[in-house]
Parts: sequence; structure tokens; C-alpha cells
Amino acid sequence: MSSPALLRHSEDSMPATTAIGEASPAPAAAPAAAPSFGTVALRWYRLNRAGLRAIAIGILSLLAFLLVWHLLTTYRVVFFVRFTNVPSPLAVYASFTKAIHDPKFLMHIVLSCRRIFIGFSLAAIVGVPLGLIMGRFKLVHEIVFPVAEVLRPIPAIAWVPMAIMLWPTNEQSIVYITFLGSFFPILVNTLHGMSLVDPVLVRAAQCLGARERSIFREVYFPASLPHIFTGLTVGMGVAWVSLIAAEMISGQYGIGYFTWEAYSLVQYADIALGMIAIGVLGLGSSMLIRGAGQLVMPWRLK
Amino acid sequence: MNEILTKAPQGHIEVKNFSLSYDSIEGPVEAVTDTQIHVNPGEFVSIVGPSGCGKSTLLNAVAGFLKPTTGVVTVDGERVNGPSAERGMVFQQYSLFPWKTVRENVEFGLKMRGMARSQRERAARTLLGLAGLDAFEKHYPEKLSGGMKQRVGIVRALATGPKVLLLDEPFGALDAQTRVIMQQILTNMWQRLKISVLFVTHDIDEAIFLSDRVYCMTARPGSIKAEIPIPLERPRQQSMMMSSEFLALRRGLMSLIREESIKAMGGEITDLGMQGLNIELHGHSLADVI
Repeated sequence: MSSPALLRHSEDSMPATTAIGEASPAPAAAPAAAPSFGTVALRWYRLNRAGLRAIAIGILSLLAFLLVWHLLTTYRVVFFVRFTNVPSPLAVYASFTKAIHDPKFLMHIVLSCRRIFIGFSLAAIVGVPLGLIMGRFKLVHEIVFPVAEVLRPIPAIAWVPMAIMLWPTNEQSIVYITFLGSFFPILVNTLHGMSLVDPVLVRAAQCLGARERSIFREVYFPASLPHIFTGLTVGMGVAWVSLIAAEMISGQYGIGYFTWEAYSLVQYADIALGMIAIGVLGLGSSMLIRGAGQLVMPWRLK
Repeated sequence: MNEILTKAPQGHIEVKNFSLSYDSIEGPVEAVTDTQIHVNPGEFVSIVGPSGCGKSTLLNAVAGFLKPTTGVVTVDGERVNGPSAERGMVFQQYSLFPWKTVRENVEFGLKMRGMARSQRERAARTLLGLAGLDAFEKHYPEKLSGGMKQRVGIVRALATGPKVLLLDEPFGALDAQTRVIMQQILTNMWQRLKISVLFVTHDIDEAIFLSDRVYCMTARPGSIKAEIPIPLERPRQQSMMMSSEFLALRRGLMSLIREESIKAMGGEITDLGMQGLNIELHGHSLADVI
């Protein structure tokens, strides 16, 4: 195994392990000079080949989607589905350039984001601690769980009439519906995370002198974090679903209202613009959560 | 640091009239019955026995995780009432906190004791240095090999300067080569710290190689079947495992455990029974092959 030929061969055939290859004693008299920029760039390319490939294919796939959309709308294809009135990508782009200079459109977006922010934050602030406490104290679990299980299957949209009755202002009822949408996924996932905490880790902490409070902070909470973040990601998705539904039904502002209003006013390009805006905002907010998760859980970075 | 290394020998474990049973639908089931063991200060004692004999149950009772149904567990005359940092524990599944770096894991016990950050960082670094792990202090446990994880586990358990160290099949998940190295490391640490050790294993060689004394347990309900002193001189070398003295001890323990394992498997397998099987293997019967 220590024969130089074998070592060199294994280095050549496995570009991904260059770092290890360097650490082992060089088989031949290797030049001591630092690797040139070209070598480093080549190595970087080899190590990240899979990622680059995914990005390239992703871009091509999005372009293909736009192209198909363009062709279907330019030729007004009618094949069961009717593309007669569907706006073309160029028409949507035109209304986009107009909209970004329109303070009203920006206000719709800002208001929707604000509702998401308040509703989702409240859900996280209530849902995560409640899940942690329910996971730790049986009695709380036994009291809260049945109620949660009954309310959980009710879609947030079904809450709209009740929310309008419950809350004095329209704004509050929309935030409430957003809150409800994200609350249950957050609660359920936190609870699930708590139920999966390895009891051996709790014992290890006890053996090292940890008391109840420390065990909660140092073991139960960090151990549940991956599931808490799953709950936050799912909760964020449902928050958008609920928000848009609430805005369409009872709103006066917001991107959901904008989209519905565009339909009523027969501004077809704006419908697609509203939809794309919702998609981009939803994507952006779940990316924020994922980023926060990576910041909070550095041990899960690969 | 010095305080840990030069502490006067203490950590006298005493388990008296111990039994432990748990409830089931068929009534109480005895896991361990009528057991007395002790570990003298600074002594290395192992418990071996067939699987399911209750040796881990006994260890968990000493750790304070389980309450004896009858009898008492004391350490230096004080009754064990729950887990405490006085009794360090090392688990088979390593049980390092995945969200803490190697150093933070080692620091944990000191943090719980309220030691200042800079002080416990220094203590953890020194200990990791002794275990040859200084290069890995900032790594998360996931990145370590099994042997390294368990070294961290041992260092973490020792960091608070416990009176006794309890180990529950700590090397059971390691490959044979790593296990031998870990046994050597554990012996070295034990000799430096002069700490009392109670070690649970199903590996007879491991028990003999490490211990001053070995308790052999019966099949469930577990009790002490025999207590075997290991008079091999220290420091012990790997080569000793071939000596006639070692092999004699091994044969003795082996036959004790074999009897109990057969009982644990729920029957008496006699040689006659074996012959009755009459299985042909390349022209030989199974009984011949055995």
C-alpha cells in the first residue's frame, strides 16, 4: 500500500480527496511552492462540480419554463386548458416594470410582509415554548393536546368568518389567521422534537451535575432545534397560504388582495405578477428561516 | 487540574442487600436480586455476566438513575439518592452532546458547577491535551471516530473530578484494535487519578486485563455468582493476554459465564442434546466439530 505508484494512482483517481492526499507524505519529491491560482481554481471546480451542475441545469430549466409559457400564450393554445387570456411573460414583465415604480404596489407587498412577520413571529413565540413545555411536563401535555388536536385540522381559511367576528379590525383578523396557519405546524414539530430527545443525553447531563433548568436549556432545547426549524419552515409556508386566502376574502391591501383585484379589474398581467410576487416572497422567507437555522445550529453544517 | 490529579484516594462504593424489580402485567419482575458488591477506594472492579443479567441495571443504580427495591447503595458512606457529578459515567453510545464542540462537551460539568468560562476553558484544554485530543477541541462530535468520541466521553466524565467512574460497556461499539488502545488509555488515566472504577462489560478478556477484581453475575434475576480477584501485576502489557496465568483466569471465568448464558437462553444444552441434533457438516457431525 505504501508503494509510490499506488499512492499516486489513488490521488489521481480521487480528485475529491486532494486535501488528504496532501497531508500524507508526498511519494515523490514534490515542489514546495504554493499551488498556482490555476491549480486552486481547478480543484475548486472539481470539488464543487455537482453544485455547479445543479445551478446550470436549474437556470436552463427555468428558461425552458419561460419559453414554454411564451409559446403557449403567443399562439393562444387551447387544448382543454385555455391560454387565450393568459398573459405572456413579456406582458407580465411590462407590468412588473410599471409596478415597481408604483407606491401602491409596494405598499401591498410591505403590508403582506408585515402581516406575515407579526403573525408568524407570534406563532413562533407561543408555539415553540408551548411545545417545549408540553414535551417536558406531562400534565400540560394532557391538558393542551386534546384541544390542539381538535383545532388543528381546521384550515385557516375556515377561520375567516370567525376571525372577522372575533377581532375588532380587519387587519387583526388577517394577522390572526396567519398566526393560526403557522402555529400548529410549529407546535406539532416542536413537540415531536421533544419526544425524540435521546434519554441517554439527559442522563449524561445529570451525571455531570446538571439540574432541571440546565437540562432544559442545554439538552432538551438544542436537541429539539432541528425539528423546531422544520416546524418553522412548514409554518412559514402555511402562513403564506393562510395570509393570501385571508387577504383575498377580507383584505383591502396586501399582495393577495392585489391579485384578486387584478382579476376583478380584468388586468390579467397583474394576476400573474401577483402570483409571482407571492412565490418569490414565500421562497425568500423560507430561505431566511433556513439561513437562521444554519446560524443557530452550526453543528449540523456538513 | 492538580487538585484533580493529586486528590487523596476515596470513592468507596458499597452495594448491600440490593434487589431491583419492576412491575409488569404478570406482576413484579426481578431484574437483580440479593446482591452485595463493593469497590475499595482506587480499585478497578468489573462486572461480567450474560446479556440481560442486570449488570447495567446494577450500574445504573450506583449512578442514581434507578432506585433499589430493597437494599442501599452508598459511596463513602453517603446514600445514593440520584445522579450527581460525584459519580462520573461513560456510556456505550458515547452520549456526547452533538451541539457542543469537543471542548464544550468536556467543559459541561465545570459549567454546571458554575466555574468561570476562562477557567473551565483552560481546564478542558489541559485534559484534552492529556488525552491527545487538543487538535480536535473545536470539532463537533459527529466528525470524530468512535475511539475519539469515547476518549472525549471519558475525559468529560473525569473533568469534574468525580470520586468514582462508572462505565457501561464503554468499548462495546468499537473495533477490536481500537478497543485494545482504549483499554490502555483507560488504565493509564485510572492509575494517574487513583479513582475507583466500576466497569460493566461482557468481554471477559477486557474484564481480566483491566481489573483488580471481577464480579461474575448469574442469569436473570441477576445476582453475584462469583468474585474473582485478578492477581496479575501492573502495569499490564498486551502480551500478558497470552500468559498461562491470564489464560487460566480466562478459562475459569469463561466456564462460569457459559453456564449462565445457557441458562439465560432458556435451557440446558447438554452434549447428549447436541449429539441428538446429528447435523452433518462436511462429513462430521456438529457435535464432532464443536
